[in-house]
Amino acid sequence: MTVSTINVPDMHCSACSGKIRSALASLSGVEATYFNPSRRQVLIEHQAGIAALDLLKRIEDAGFTPVLSGVEFHDEQQKKLLKRLGIAGLSMMQVMMAAVALYSGAFTGMEEGYRRLLELTSLLFCIPVIAYSAMPFFSGALKAFRTGINMDVPIALAIMIAFIASVSATISGNGEVYYDSVVMFTFLLLGARYIDSRLQQRFTSTRHSLAHLPLRARRLGADGPELIAVTDIHTGDHIWVGEGEQIPVDGALVSSAAITDEAVLSGESDWIHKAQGAALWAGTMNRGGGFEMTTTATFDASRIADIAALADRAQLERTPVAALADRVAAWFIPAILMLATATFCIWQLIDPTRALVAGLTVLVVSCPCALSLATPAALTAAMTRLRDAGIVFTRSAALEQVAGIDYALIDKTGTLTMHEPKLDSSTLLNERYSLEQCLALAGALQQHSAHPYARAFSLTGPVPLDNVQVVTGKGVTADWGQHLLRIGSAQFCNAGDDTDRAVYLAIDNEPCCRFWISDEVRADAREAVTALRDLGITPIMLSGDADAPCRELAEKLDIAYLARQTPESKLEYLQRQSAAGHRTLMIGDGINDVPVLAGADVSATVLEASDLVKSKADILFLTRRLTPLPELIRTARRTLQITHQNLFWALAYNLTAIPIAALGWMPPWLAALGMASSSTLVMFNATRILR
Amino acid sequence: MEMLVVLIPVSVVLIAIAGVIFLWAVNNNQFEELDKHGLDILDDDAGDKS
Repeated sequence: MTVSTINVPDMHCSACSGKIRSALASLSGVEATYFNPSRRQVLIEHQAGIAALDLLKRIEDAGFTPVLSGVEFHDEQQKKLLKRLGIAGLSMMQVMMAAVALYSGAFTGMEEGYRRLLELTSLLFCIPVIAYSAMPFFSGALKAFRTGINMDVPIALAIMIAFIASVSATISGNGEVYYDSVVMFTFLLLGARYIDSRLQQRFTSTRHSLAHLPLRARRLGADGPELIAVTDIHTGDHIWVGEGEQIPVDGALVSSAAITDEAVLSGESDWIHKAQGAALWAGTMNRGGGFEMTTTATFDASRIADIAALADRAQLERTPVAALADRVAAWFIPAILMLATATFCIWQLIDPTRALVAGLTVLVVSCPCALSLATPAALTAAMTRLRDAGIVFTRSAALEQVAGIDYALIDKTGTLTMHEPKLDSSTLLNERYSLEQCLALAGALQQHSAHPYARAFSLTGPVPLDNVQVVTGKGVTADWGQHLLRIGSAQFCNAGDDTDRAVYLAIDNEPCCRFWISDEVRADAREAVTALRDLGITPIMLSGDADAPCRELAEKLDIAYLARQTPESKLEYLQRQSAAGHRTLMIGDGINDVPVLAGADVSATVLEASDLVKSKADILFLTRRLTPLPELIRTARRTLQITHQNLFWALAYNLTAIPIAALGWMPPWLAALGMASSSTLVMFNATRILR
Repeated sequence: MEMLVVLIPVSVVLIAIAGVIFLWAVNNNQFEELDKHGLDILDDDAGDKS
């Protein structure tokens, strides 16, 4: 399964995306298509056999102009829009001046010759607007013949009808001219599109943009360093990362030490000191001196690329509210055309001189642009904000659901606590050896163990060990000179009974040292739990561990808990809560949590979780802290509120403006202003989420 | 009022010139990164470019 991202800059509305979806669906091997209307992107899941060229061709056949890489094109597009806008603006000033003269002339009396001169001047300035500035609307509307009706149709019709009526009035010498309405309408609409595209750019290019990875890397070959493209890096290559540079791919440190800034990946602002062999992540910054690293992944397989792909998929997926808005918008356009025609016909009976203006005003005022932008704009802004806080959505519909949750089930190990166990305390049991000696021996022995607790020990120096044997599930034995070493559980070391959390070191079958391992609690876990409660959410800790360690942690965090839980009992508990009408958020990281994650209304996991869990969870926390959790809830609630506001404004605008226009109480310029400002208002409202 | 016959063609020419200058400015990225130059003085490396 491959995923291709294609930018389609001329995809403006839901009708367009529907056409593209059906054009791609007819290609065998295409599994699913997702759309992001605000970024004008199509994301296609397809079998590896399909060439990108075939996909592009399909989209082209459907009447669009697809582009494979988007960033530069976006700038080019914006520049073109600015030129069209500027020309329309300059022309508008001249036409308006002539219009003022014509209006006042109509009242005070004006010689026929001067009237003709002013009308011809207006026509002259109108020509660049029609022939250049308004072109996107015409080409968009022409596409309707091939791809079905879209939002440009009423706009292009209004501009064209007003222009043709004015030209014929100018030539015949009688009748009204509407040049001022034509240029003003075009100018305002272009202005709205320009502002929208600027705001979209703000949503997509943020400080922590995942898109900004370096393009080149310095590979250390046999004959010195050479510059190569990051896509040519193979696993196992040695590369040099200079001072202040970005790490191009995932890898491990070869030099003795390094300082990195992983804010882009985790939101963690403190710089991190790395020792030799430590993992380095693509996209993070080198804040210390230059260092050598060996690569462990290719560019595309780097962790940051995975996260970006997951996040992109979420952005492109349509939420139920967005889908509803799209359906309404698609149904709206034919309705507008009919309504405008009806208005024209009825006014023809009442007062033929006002029929054309009233019909045009309805056409202009009722464009459902704001309606179709309302949800995607708010969602994109929310995703951007949360990504900065270290939260990535893999399913965007989850954002709507997060706003409604009132129960948070949190897995203990790995979620409330860190994945890394910590050596809490060591107690010497035999005075013949020093504590340092015991720690050194334990460190050396544990290098051979795969048990999670072994990671709590570190190698402090060289210890000569022979005949190392790993006894699975129990511990490690080895010969140290004349002595026999054992490390493992109390039973394994003849130390009687103790909890699972104690690790013993025995020398010659005599227990020498007791190490107490604790799972390190995530920073800010307590604050997060308190903040959740303040938000009206009941946090519950679930754990498979025994009662004692759970109670200890639960008291520390001030959280209710359920100990000795199996995956089945966790799921059963979850289902009981759902049956009682609670909406649940489940946060877990283990494979055994997958059924519970799947059963919850919304599921979240942490970056250290396995790939299976990450692919099932709706939300991924990138930070080593839990503080983003309340931030997530607050942002989700705010986003839902703003989405509802947006939908309400868009609908209220259309529903009040259309009758006023149909009754002939609204001048065309006001209609254009209303239409342009309603969609810009919606975009601005969405940017409030970013603040 | 007769002056209109002269002034209107003059205004057409002036607007045409303004339009050409505007298109030149956009094409030469004069409207890109309007905030950048104000912040340049804070950038220690800015002098290296010359």
